[in-house]
Amino acid sequence: MSQLRTILICDDEEELAHELGEFFEGNGWKVDVCVTGMAAIEKLRKGLAPHVLITDLRISDFDGAQVVSVARELPPEMRPLMTIIITGHVMDTARAVDFMCDYLYVKPIDPDVLLANIGEFLAHRTFPAAGRS
Amino acid sequence: MISSRNRRTIWLLKGGLIVASFVLFITTVLLYVSQAQQGALLTATVRSSGWVAYQARLELLKTEAAFARTSVIPTEDGLRTLSMRLEILRSRLPLLYNSDEGRLLRGVLDIQPQVQDYEIKVDRVLDEVETLDPEDGNTVRRLQELQTTLEPLGQLLHSTLMQSVAYNQELFRREKELAQTPGVVPLVLLFISGAALALLLFLQARGDRLRLDQLMEAQSALGAMEENLRAVIQSVPACMLVIDPADDTVTFFNSSAAAFISTSADDPGWQRLVRGARDAARAVNGNQWGYLSMAYTRPDGEVVSLRGSFCEVLWQQRPQLLLVLVDTTRVRNAELQVMQAAKLATLGEMATAIAHELNQPLAVIKMAVANAKRLLEPLTGGEPVAVKLDRISAQVDRAKRITDQVRRYGRMPTEQQQLFSLRNAVEMAMGFVTEQFRSADIRLSIQAEVPPELAVFGEQTMFEQVIVNLLVNAHDAFESGPANRARAVRVTVRSEDDRARVEVQDNAGGIAPEILARLFEPFATTKPTEKGTGLGLSLARSVVRDMGGSIVGENIENGARFVISLPTSIAFVSRDAA
Repeated sequence: MSQLRTILICDDEEELAHELGEFFEGNGWKVDVCVTGMAAIEKLRKGLAPHVLITDLRISDFDGAQVVSVARELPPEMRPLMTIIITGHVMDTARAVDFMCDYLYVKPIDPDVLLANIGEFLAHRTFPAAGRS
Repeated sequence: MISSRNRRTIWLLKGGLIVASFVLFITTVLLYVSQAQQGALLTATVRSSGWVAYQARLELLKTEAAFARTSVIPTEDGLRTLSMRLEILRSRLPLLYNSDEGRLLRGVLDIQPQVQDYEIKVDRVLDEVETLDPEDGNTVRRLQELQTTLEPLGQLLHSTLMQSVAYNQELFRREKELAQTPGVVPLVLLFISGAALALLLFLQARGDRLRLDQLMEAQSALGAMEENLRAVIQSVPACMLVIDPADDTVTFFNSSAAAFISTSADDPGWQRLVRGARDAARAVNGNQWGYLSMAYTRPDGEVVSLRGSFCEVLWQQRPQLLLVLVDTTRVRNAELQVMQAAKLATLGEMATAIAHELNQPLAVIKMAVANAKRLLEPLTGGEPVAVKLDRISAQVDRAKRITDQVRRYGRMPTEQQQLFSLRNAVEMAMGFVTEQFRSADIRLSIQAEVPPELAVFGEQTMFEQVIVNLLVNAHDAFESGPANRARAVRVTVRSEDDRARVEVQDNAGGIAPEILARLFEPFATTKPTEKGTGLGLSLARSVVRDMGGSIVGENIENGARFVISLPTSIAFVSRDAA
């Protein structure tokens, strides 16, 4: 991986958010962690423009799907390439498309599977050389 | 209702009336006849009464003639003849008032004192005549004087005769009138009385007829009502018994009671039931419906809850006791089972919530283990720790599977139907009970003769629950089944043409025959109330039916077998193949 990949993690379960962050950092990612939906939206609007956005579906009283929809409406240069929702809820019939995200995982997630899926997904995307920090 | 005594009185009255009418009729006839006879007698008598006066008058004339003859030339013979005439006249005179005819005449003319005066006069004349001497010159004169004394008698007799005749004429006229309308009045009266009698009889008969019709109608209505009542009593789903209070014997029982105890009245079960009901009734006060609550043990050992009451009835014309009982066993069990089901539903919700909450720490552990492993990598001698970390990670995965299954099992069904892999669903369901089977030492095996792609259409979670239910039932069956055999449950999945067949087979001894018939009915269960809801197989059947399939349960050698038949979908297979 020649380029530094960036990820924004949003989960009110702080320990999980930090463990996830540590995992991605350990794998060479630049990580931002938020524990509220509002903070995540603010960062996105300020032009964080991460490659990947991971959000919990329920962040306290906030809806993770809202974070995703805000992200998708950002100008293309600020928009995350990939959006992921993770949830601990009963989601037998739910599909990623229901939340307009690219992937939907039910907790607990196997981090290796997560990483592999992200790698595969991003490999098919044009990776911008510049404009991203 | 008219009592037999009253009816007898009425009949007696009627008989008396008829006899009285008959007697009256005969009396009227006799009276009529006797009146007619008397009338005739009267006429004859009255007519003859003129005759008495006429005879007396005739005798007087003869006497006067004798006087006349003797007074011309008085002779011994002439005087003797005169005496004889006078005697005859004298004998005639009392007849004027002292004969039948004379007595009748007396009612019209009272001539007795006058006639008696003349009797004395005639006696005196007779005495004098007998003293007369024909030779005596005074005799003629004396005879003339004596004759003169009798002259007023002639006038009296004449007037009597005249009046008699006049009376007879009047009588005759009336008689003639009567003869012209002979006995019309009594006849009419007789006819009227007869007609009245006939009318009375007719009215009576008509009344009787009407009453009889009413009686018949009422009787037939009563009969129909009794028939209906009998049918109702026979068809009510409650046990109804009539008990003779004298010796507590059962004199009647309906079909529900017969089905409950026996069709034979001699069955000892009746006495046991009556005794039980009597004891139960003694234990409580009141007589409203349902006050009596008792338990009855059937010959097969099943204890049944009964609820009902005693009441006094008039049965077969004597006061007896009606005992009505309803089997409340099933209702009671159903109540317990509904409570149980509600409890389980709550448990399901709780399980789902717990599964969700557990997933959060599991997710953290999983991530933390991954990070720990990464941190461990550059260090030397960390391999044993890495192995432990792998084990932790594997146990998290295992915990995740458990929470997944709990979640699936506990969640409420959605309406969403889709194609799913039959084999995967069966394996998933089996996975849920694996632990349970292992701890109960039951060998659980699968024989899958279909590819994983073989799909059926429906709701996968619900279908999995059906299989889980069958497996749990088999598991529970071993608890009450024979223990001296290697416990085994085998699941077979195969396909035939366009249908798939899933068999769940155990060797737990089979299903009780009385349950087999109503296996899929709600609340039909062999399990104790705290264990089974009795809803599982009922739910299973509706799920399978919703999928267009069928489910049957049968007994095989040493055990039971459930067979689910489902339509398979080619679409899923071809899509997956594409």
